[in-house]
Amino acid sequence: MGGLFRTEMVKQWHRTRTYVVLGLTVLIPLIVAIALKANPPSGPSGGDFTNLALHTGLFLPVVSLRFMSRFLLVIIVVLFAGDAIASEAGWGNLRAMLTRPVGRGRLLLAKLESALLLAVIATALISVTGLIAGTIAFGWHPLNLGIGNLALHMSIAQILGNLGLASLYVLWGISGVAALAFMASTMTDSPAAAVFAGFGLYIVSVILDAITSLGSIRYVLPTHYFDAWTNLFTNPGHGPTSDMLRGTLLQILYVLVFGGIAWWHFRRKDVLS
Amino acid sequence: MASSPPAIEVVGLTKDFDGVRAVDDLSFQVGHGEVCGLLGPNGAGKTTTLRVLVGLLRPTKGRASLLGVPMTASNPVLARCGTMIEHADFVPFLSGIRNLELHWQEAGGDFAQANVEEALAIAGLGDAVHRKVKTYSQGMRQRLGVARALLGRPDVMVLDEPTNGLDPAEMREIRQLLGRLSSRGVTILLSSHLLGEVEQVCSHVVVMDRGHLVAAGTLAELTAATSSVYFEVDDLARARQILSSHAGVRSVRDQDPGLVVELDGVRRSELVASLVHANVGVDTVESQHRLEDAFLGLLAGAER
Repeated sequence: MGGLFRTEMVKQWHRTRTYVVLGLTVLIPLIVAIALKANPPSGPSGGDFTNLALHTGLFLPVVSLRFMSRFLLVIIVVLFAGDAIASEAGWGNLRAMLTRPVGRGRLLLAKLESALLLAVIATALISVTGLIAGTIAFGWHPLNLGIGNLALHMSIAQILGNLGLASLYVLWGISGVAALAFMASTMTDSPAAAVFAGFGLYIVSVILDAITSLGSIRYVLPTHYFDAWTNLFTNPGHGPTSDMLRGTLLQILYVLVFGGIAWWHFRRKDVLS
Repeated sequence: MASSPPAIEVVGLTKDFDGVRAVDDLSFQVGHGEVCGLLGPNGAGKTTTLRVLVGLLRPTKGRASLLGVPMTASNPVLARCGTMIEHADFVPFLSGIRNLELHWQEAGGDFAQANVEEALAIAGLGDAVHRKVKTYSQGMRQRLGVARALLGRPDVMVLDEPTNGLDPAEMREIRQLLGRLSSRGVTILLSSHLLGEVEQVCSHVVVMDRGHLVAAGTLAELTAATSSVYFEVDDLARARQILSSHAGVRSVRDQDPGLVVELDGVRRSELVASLVHANVGVDTVESQHRLEDAFLGLLAGAER
């Protein structure tokens, strides 16, 4: 298992795509820091925490996560998942791999692990770069904010702990659509088609979730609880909310269904490419 | 004493794709150390058969076995088999040597134990082996593909059009390599469109058409029924007259600057003797396209 995972990672580290994608996760927090420093917002932040970042640099990764989690990070994670098997098939190398005694289940697991590791690295880079850039631009302090009757106090440990929890939740929140992309990756030779399948599900889910008339159907959409992590910073004393718990459990369902189909399909698949 | 199973055995193999039958009740065997050519026109089901043999496709019915082991996906017996199916494809942004290394390590092998030296000597890529594969020509990829198939010192090789994209000199190198491997006892099953190549390399032939087995046997058996001889003589008209009326001759046709005689039981030496006896000077006598004739004859027979 270790051998297959290692060879997968060797391939990933030799791809320009990997560096471009991870470079973006470094670049965006830097741009956010420079923009906020150069042109601080004057009005209320409206839920994206930009004003809070002006009080402590520790909030800059939170701002970056808020900006990136809704679009760019989704594309990045779905790209790693959707590319996993389909790119190998597209190169024509899949059939060479499978004419060796390489277990298809083990190969699938190694591909999944490498995609997961890259997704974790991408998410971690947002936080780490945000922390470094935020500290340089706005300092390393706890948050002590009082405006009228509103007061918001968070210690450094609390901010860092919640940032870690939020990063994990955001990553897990994308896992459902990423699992669909991974499943599609076992069924096509086109990485673009697999990525489109995953991102398509995300877009459709976001649109449907905006239609309040759909009522309780919205609660099973993979993106419904996507922003539940923001409560960790708007109500910091309460810890993870019930919405975060529901969001976590819902993703388990999607991952099991799409992952199970991928596993079932790939082990029986006729390899033609 | 129980006899060992054949190196390659296909029994009642049928493969359907979405209701289309690509291979239909195909059976043949390849014995240990034999070099067998799998022949057939496009769409005959050759590549499908080879893919089932190496576990890439699941048979609809029947089975394919390697070294006595019924093939399944990722079967451990694949460690004893070198393959090249369809094109030799690689991870394009990695070098040739890195591709070989990863290919070997993916199955848990130690690259230091692989047959790297011989494989690289055969690939003959020189320093280019350190270049990214995406910069390779088709011929270079094909040679690297043969090298990849040899990494494990295989007992059986399954090769699909191994000389595809190679120039004549490279094709000859591959033919010589297959001859060397055969002399070492390696069993080889190869598909090819190049009948001349098969004739030079293979001891046995399996002919397929539209998914069915048309014929199987030794090269000599298949070509015995249909052989032709090319003559160059000093008196073409007289020779044509003598040969046309000779017993055991099916037909005589002109092929500038000589004649091609289709034999039907007569020996070449008898024809030469008859010509000489009639004072016709014989400059050249050579067998011509025997396998091609046999192949086309078999396909025509199968169509009828």
